[in-house]
Amino acid sequence: MAEPLSRQDKTRIVSNFILLSPPGEFNEVFNDVRGLLRDDGLLKEEAGLAAARHNKEQFIPCKIEGSDRKVLITEHGDQGGDRFYDPHTKQTFRYDHLRKEASDVKPGKSDKVAEPWRNALDTEYFSYIQKHFTNGTTSVYGSSTPDGSIRLIACTESHQFNARNFWNGRWRSQWSVSFQPSQKTAELAGILKVQVHYYEEGNVQLVTSKEVKETLNITSEAETAKAFCQLVMSAENEYQTAITENYQTMSSTTFKALRRALPITKAKIDWAKIAGFGIGKELKKAT
Amino acid sequence: MEDPQLDCALDLMRRLPPQKIESNLSNLIELVPHLCENLLSAVDQPLKVARDKAVGKDYLLCDYNRDGDSYRSPWTNQYDPPLPDGAMPSERLRRLEVEANSAFDQYREMYFEGGVSSVYLWDLDHGFAGVLLIKKAGDGSNKIKGCWDSIHVVEVNEKSSGRAAHYKLTSTAMLWLQTTKTGSGTMNLGGSLTRQAEIEANVGESSPHIANIGRMVEDMENKIRNTLNDIYFSKTKDIVNGLRSTSSAADNKQRDMLKKDLANALHKRNQPAAN
Repeated sequence: MAEPLSRQDKTRIVSNFILLSPPGEFNEVFNDVRGLLRDDGLLKEEAGLAAARHNKEQFIPCKIEGSDRKVLITEHGDQGGDRFYDPHTKQTFRYDHLRKEASDVKPGKSDKVAEPWRNALDTEYFSYIQKHFTNGTTSVYGSSTPDGSIRLIACTESHQFNARNFWNGRWRSQWSVSFQPSQKTAELAGILKVQVHYYEEGNVQLVTSKEVKETLNITSEAETAKAFCQLVMSAENEYQTAITENYQTMSSTTFKALRRALPITKAKIDWAKIAGFGIGKELKKAT
Repeated sequence: MEDPQLDCALDLMRRLPPQKIESNLSNLIELVPHLCENLLSAVDQPLKVARDKAVGKDYLLCDYNRDGDSYRSPWTNQYDPPLPDGAMPSERLRRLEVEANSAFDQYREMYFEGGVSSVYLWDLDHGFAGVLLIKKAGDGSNKIKGCWDSIHVVEVNEKSSGRAAHYKLTSTAMLWLQTTKTGSGTMNLGGSLTRQAEIEANVGESSPHIANIGRMVEDMENKIRNTLNDIYFSKTKDIVNGLRSTSSAADNKQRDMLKKDLANALHKRNQPAAN
């Protein structure tokens, strides 16, 4: 009989499963894992960590009091101790990773040096999200270093959940730039990710990601924000268009080459011809 | 009686990314080892290919031609690595299995124009059961890697007269597409769909089991192919385009208004002139 699994191995496997939950299905995966593990104590201790990591990776949007916009749960807003920062309202809050709820909202501190840049970008970026994303949420972070270097990070999340029709999907993007205000240009780095899950009588998933590097002109806070969003819009349009083109090639070429709709004769198979004779001979022999 | 843990396991496998089926399944079996046999037979995995060196032909591996760590070749009926008392179909069934492999090989060539197929049969109390497998890999053109796996499990219940039978078919088609390109980064579209069918049919010289099963499998695979086409290339694409729009909402509003204006103008033009 096999040795029982060590606590460490159980944790590794369970955390792995939780981290792989498709968009909108964390609870279902969690409940499945709970039913398989049958150790609520271990689950409570170890699954919390995996859930936290999953939420930060997925850019889960969260409603908080005192804000007209949702805030994203990301590593950039992680204050430690399950508290997160909302750069838009400059508040911190406690986040329950399993219930996905915010509580204990308190005023927080913003980076005074970065704030003019962050605020300008926040306004432009939010406007961009509204124009191009259905159900989109953004959090824009700004920080500075003692030598005066500014870092801006804009995160986007957009999802559609439709469990009734057995599908879910999520888009995530993260755009970041670091610069000295005196620089003329700086590198704008983007990571784009899309995941779609369809599961009616099956399990089909699209997992796609792309890394982008663009050159951003650094001028005034407002102009830089506009240029930032212009580059983001072009790059994300290009990505989305390329995905659509791939779909076209996959369906019209790759898929067709895997299996034909019908044999080259344009008719279904004559099974009597293919299969009949051997067995018929056998039956005759038997009688 | 269904094991509730088996339900959890199967639900989990329907949600985790199919791109990682093998590692997910092996982790699952580690977690609930008492479900190992059930999971290996219930969870479809991409088919592996082996070479029958005796006849220089490939064959496909699955749980149904496995005994321990050995697999039985449909061409020579031998286990590899050799197993002196490995599970074997009866003599009568083996003859049918040989015919089935030959017929299905032709089916494979006509629809797939390449690839590998294998048929394995096993005896049941009132008939027999079988699995029909196909694997076809794409040639990588257009920088897209593609692969198709078919797994058809059929249960045949022969009526006592021997002149009719009840056929139950469970078919899974797996489709894997991957590409890495500058414009779209890495794109991985993969997974499977499963369908079932049942028929009663006469069995005789003009419609032997192989013909009845063949027709069922052909119709089923044609249906699944259409559904795969819809789900993979329309449905998931529509979901992506439902998350983000390349044109701005303002553009969309303007375009919708323009459409309405145009429609109204056309409608007015098509009205009979008022005299």
